[in-house]
Amino acid sequence: MNQGPIIFLAAFLALAASWFGMVLMPQGQVGQLQTTNTVGPVPTAYPIGMPGMARQGLEVYRAQGCAYCHSQQVRQSGTVCDVELTEIGTNQPAVIDALKKTVPGFNPQSANQLLTDLPKRITTGITKSEADAEVRALRAGGAKADVWIVPVGPDIARGYGKRQTVAEDFLYNPSVALGSDRIGPDLANIGGRNGDPNWHLRHLYAPRSEVKGSPMPPYRYLFEKRRITHSISPDALAFRAEAGVPDGYEIVPTQDARALAAYLTSLRVDAPLYSAPFSVPPPPPEPSTNAPAGGTNATPAAAGTTNQPAK
Amino acid sequence: MSADPKQPPSALATVSTGSDATTPSMRNPMPVWIIILLFVLIFLSCVYFDTQGGWEPIVYRPYHSVREVELYQPPPPDGPNLAAGRALFEQQCGICHDNSGAGKPGQAPPLVGSEWVLGSPNRLIRIPQLGLTGPIKVNGQDYSFANSMPPIAAPWSDEDLVNVLGYIRQAWGNKAVKTDPITVQHVQAVRNEVKGQPSTTSDALSKVPAAIKK
Repeated sequence: MNQGPIIFLAAFLALAASWFGMVLMPQGQVGQLQTTNTVGPVPTAYPIGMPGMARQGLEVYRAQGCAYCHSQQVRQSGTVCDVELTEIGTNQPAVIDALKKTVPGFNPQSANQLLTDLPKRITTGITKSEADAEVRALRAGGAKADVWIVPVGPDIARGYGKRQTVAEDFLYNPSVALGSDRIGPDLANIGGRNGDPNWHLRHLYAPRSEVKGSPMPPYRYLFEKRRITHSISPDALAFRAEAGVPDGYEIVPTQDARALAAYLTSLRVDAPLYSAPFSVPPPPPEPSTNAPAGGTNATPAAAGTTNQPAK
Repeated sequence: MSADPKQPPSALATVSTGSDATTPSMRNPMPVWIIILLFVLIFLSCVYFDTQGGWEPIVYRPYHSVREVELYQPPPPDGPNLAAGRALFEQQCGICHDNSGAGKPGQAPPLVGSEWVLGSPNRLIRIPQLGLTGPIKVNGQDYSFANSMPPIAAPWSDEDLVNVLGYIRQAWGNKAVKTDPITVQHVQAVRNEVKGQPSTTSDALSKVPAAIKK
């Protein structure tokens, strides 16, 4: 009984099918992703490649196994719309009339209180069509109002990010440390939440001195403990008393610790993309000066107002 | 195994009642080609689902379709996008007109306070679209240059041109954009009208009606 060729053929087919399904097809679908532009008032190129220090930090992140306890993926369960009233205009009765018609449970008695302190979100958590109808009615009454796109979900309520993570966010990561367990918080947007590298260094050395009751193990071997001889090193970290640094000693981060902090502060998921839209406030009006603007490095494609991503 | 493929199926029933119940399936093993066909069908159905199932790599949960993603795009800002216009101006126009809009001697006239910039949109749109040759009078001063202005905006999108014109009409103390904004419709109307025309001159521009043809 020689079943060898059949077994070989079956194994070959099974592997070939999984290779087609899990390597070739995804490559065709998302392998062509390129730097795209953010959507919103000022389109900028996104994502931007990692700086060299952060690139080294990614290796430290992998070597220390941070991904075993921290994920880097923000989930989103839905998208709602808010209506922000920016200006009431001159015809206040017409605006109140429009609010009565479109806002359920609108109380005309509280109108005066509602219409002070503009700009203000007057309606929150409605669908896009409801928000559009409300804005149309308000504009007909002479007021100025905008629709705000707001992602919602448990992760966003926890402050892990302003929107969900999408494939573009990881475009320049040579290896993606998505993680699956969340013994610690999600780190996809840690640089946007806390961009202070010194905080991260202190937290790595003594987690519980910065976060009460943190279950994170201290990474003291990424730091040098030195006896202070003459003067304190300029690189020494300024700890709280809880960190337990004995008197007469200073803690200086090694290159690995610095790289890891640079990597953590470089993690940001706070730009609106075509595939993950949300509203950002418009930039403050620029003073009319000849100083070079921040937007001068925008490409002609970036200067376009099309929301389509670069193909 | 010496399976006899020529054995009629009716014989299986008689054998299965016998002592060796496993024999019939061993005699007629499932042909390999059926297994291969099954794999091919599964693969083709996956490909079909992938290409025809409305699946888009750009659509992530909780969105279900490109139309839904499109629905939630933030609305474009009212009027020209001045930040984008400034970026494009400083990249392409500022080389000759200077980023301050003051112009450069021997290269280009100033844009600050220029009646061509602040005046009729119908004339202003033609200048970057067609280019400009010959002398021109700006702010009461005559300018003439060795090189003519190229039709620099000809390859731009309508939105880009609106953004740049909106920027130069409000930057550096120019105040025109609020009262008389240039829109994409204006640019499209003028572009259709001047299609194929050569580089314009200030005399020709002066003869163009100030209002844009509807």
